[in-house]
Amino acid sequence: MKKQVIITAAAINEAALLSERVMTPGMGAIVCFVGVVRGTEGNAYISALEYEAFQRMAEHQINLLFDEMARRWPLESVRLVHRVGRVKVNEPSLWVEVIARHRGEAFAACQWLIDELKRAAPIWKKPVNDDGSLKDAN
Amino acid sequence: MRVTVSFYSYFKDLTGCGGTSEELSDGSTLEDLFQALVVRFPKLGAMRKATLMAVGLDYQQSSYVLKEGDEVSLFPPVQGG
Repeated sequence: MKKQVIITAAAINEAALLSERVMTPGMGAIVCFVGVVRGTEGNAYISALEYEAFQRMAEHQINLLFDEMARRWPLESVRLVHRVGRVKVNEPSLWVEVIARHRGEAFAACQWLIDELKRAAPIWKKPVNDDGSLKDAN
Repeated sequence: MRVTVSFYSYFKDLTGCGGTSEELSDGSTLEDLFQALVVRFPKLGAMRKATLMAVGLDYQQSSYVLKEGDEVSLFPPVQGG
């Protein structure tokens, strides 16, 4: 299974990611998930989320998740991009692509990866107020 | 032995720093380290149940026995995605 993880302060460029997609003749399903920043946090309006990562550990933990995916499902490839830094409302903070022979394993693996990412990857976010200040998260 | 400690997310605010180092006796565990850090950074004390611990790039339990030069990271529950 081919795999790629990118944690970046640069905006997620979906067009560029799609242009880099590699398929083989046997592949029949692509599941792509884009997580975007919602404009509310609880009952409050926000303008952005500020993401912080322990980058080396996050990459390592995500690669461990990829290894587990390869054991669970017959997958062709998985790619994951996660933003750090300030991400404005409606901008993507997470981009995931899973390619497989059939949709069943592609959907299941993508859902599993996102759930496990939220459990295992050392990444945190703080809401940003409309005036650009950070809300206190603790 | 001496280990280094890094703090992430709001643990940096609670401690006022991104990291430190701590001298411990041989055989000390992550729990021993945490309790030693609470003496220096009392605000960490209330976070014990919400603290995740890693050595190097892997999560470890509080019973993990530390070694000279270990790189420890302490942080709150993760929130990626």
